[in-house]
Amino acid sequence: MAKYNKYVQIGPATATAGAAETAMVKVCQKYPNIVVVLEDMGMPGIEWFKKNAPERIVECGIAEANGAVIAGALAAEGFIPFIHSFSFAVIERAYNQIRQSILVDRFNVKITARDAPWGDLGISHDIVEGIACTRCLPNLVILNPADAVEAEKAYIAMVDYVGPVYFRMEYSAPAPYKIFTEDYPFEIGKAYAIKDGKDATIIATGYLVTEAIKAVEILEKEGLDVGILNISTIKPLDEEAIIKVAEQTRAIVTAEGGTIIGGLGDAVASVLAESAPAALVKVGVEDEFSQSARLTAEVDELKDFFGLGAKDLVISVKEAIAKREQFKLVRK
Amino acid sequence: MAHSPEVIAELEDKANLVRRNIVRIFESSKQGHAGGTMSSVDIVTALFFHHLKLDKNNCDWPERDRVVLSKAHAAEAIYAVLPEIGYVSRDMLDKYYAFRSQFQGHADRWCTPGIDYSGGSLGQGLSFAAGMAKAEKIHTAIHPPTVQVTTANYPKLILKYNPAYRVFCIVGDGELNEGQNWEAMMFAAKYKLDNLVCIVDYNKFQLDGPVEMIMPIEPLADKFKSFGWDVREINGHSIREITDTLDLVNNLYGDGKPKCIIAHTVKGHGIPVWESVHLHYSRLEGTTIAVKEGREIYG
Repeated sequence: MAKYNKYVQIGPATATAGAAETAMVKVCQKYPNIVVVLEDMGMPGIEWFKKNAPERIVECGIAEANGAVIAGALAAEGFIPFIHSFSFAVIERAYNQIRQSILVDRFNVKITARDAPWGDLGISHDIVEGIACTRCLPNLVILNPADAVEAEKAYIAMVDYVGPVYFRMEYSAPAPYKIFTEDYPFEIGKAYAIKDGKDATIIATGYLVTEAIKAVEILEKEGLDVGILNISTIKPLDEEAIIKVAEQTRAIVTAEGGTIIGGLGDAVASVLAESAPAALVKVGVEDEFSQSARLTAEVDELKDFFGLGAKDLVISVKEAIAKREQFKLVRK
Repeated sequence: MAHSPEVIAELEDKANLVRRNIVRIFESSKQGHAGGTMSSVDIVTALFFHHLKLDKNNCDWPERDRVVLSKAHAAEAIYAVLPEIGYVSRDMLDKYYAFRSQFQGHADRWCTPGIDYSGGSLGQGLSFAAGMAKAEKIHTAIHPPTVQVTTANYPKLILKYNPAYRVFCIVGDGELNEGQNWEAMMFAAKYKLDNLVCIVDYNKFQLDGPVEMIMPIEPLADKFKSFGWDVREINGHSIREITDTLDLVNNLYGDGKPKCIIAHTVKGHGIPVWESVHLHYSRLEGTTIAVKEGREIYG
């Protein structure tokens, strides 16, 4: 077993869906001005609202454009509105509404979305461009937690933060490992080095952190010391942490569930190009849409089809190291 | 109904003052959404100088009436009013469109005191207004308002429901092409937003041509009615009809119906050269002629 940093205790796979539920029940008792703006797709913690605060439920039906603007207006009047659906609906169907009626005035709306590039529902619902299409929007914070512990902490931090946030929940991805201990100090905008390494670093987000851990264990047996940097805040990006690991290893692999065009890989690439030259291999979906897969072993199959599994990361790490030698980049 | 001729005459003078300010705005900017601005002048005048509950010393007063200008390209009409209320300095009239100006190209909540909604992307304002009206319903259920809404004409009015604030949304006829308006109409009816008044500035023209040719919206009143709204049709350039109708709907809070006032207007109203061609956007040379005309009429 590789040596991990503080607050990391790798445990069995645990679904993250329940974490948002638990977190919502905690925050809605702390903030009596939370309102849930439904788009006929439920909401984590909705049962609590039905029982305790039905007047704070605003149901818009299957009308995401209207829902996003209603949420913006409720925020303008001092509420903390949550909107929730699949990313393709809550974000993309209402893209301009979010831009114009939420982000322009930096209204305190929390957008929580079920999305993942894999899953049972197929091409319409499994979004590969979730990060790419939102990372370019000013005033928006994007969170993509790696496990259930971080998901709960990030959810609470999102409400403590005043401003619009896009919180991604990779529901239909395979369940991630339990990674963090309960006292892990999550902070928006801070990446966390799960493991240090001197040969290469995998910069991963969301479920791919679990695959990175699997990959690092394989590489450890082969004698390579590879670090993992967990990026749970996609925006604002913790450039300092990226520069630090880039200077240490000069061989970087980025790992994300979505498309590599405009995603985490491209965000990291700009940091490397501007501030800390390093060999880079981007792992993610290669410019294509997703497809259906049953939420059993088939999801793993689809993940491997896209080249997003641990064994793909292992190959990519070796490729990054070879590139570093080819480019004659020197480690600090 | 019961507005005195003096009140009406005073408001008509105000409307001409607003037109004079708009001419000044165009004089320096040499560009702007001329037609839709002029068609909404009388509506904006009646709202800001007579009907709205405002605090002249505090544009952020929580119990102020909200105005959502969904057709935010007509911002010049409200910009022409704001110095008269005292929310911005008169110099701003010469800074429309200017870099770092409080008078941005489209109405902007962050830049301009007295603007409640940052618009420009059409078809979203009615949703925003409905959201504000819904927020008032939630607030009022928890904290009943301290100030009673009354008007000069109905001082002893006993309201079935006393909203903390009312929301007035001005939409254009062309932007009713956007499907989101109809989502907002369903929403407003579902939540019985009787504190919401939607005023349609029905000037009959959109950028590419007449509304009835580009995308017919008739029968508009029947459409609103079928969505569960209370609908009235007026001449949008008659101050008397506008004020009387606004007071009438003021009587109806508590009836559970959102209100729609379809105001029949004329694109470019008040500036003959704009009126004659139903001008949407004025720029450079054309503006100079219009400004000259405007100066002759409004001083």
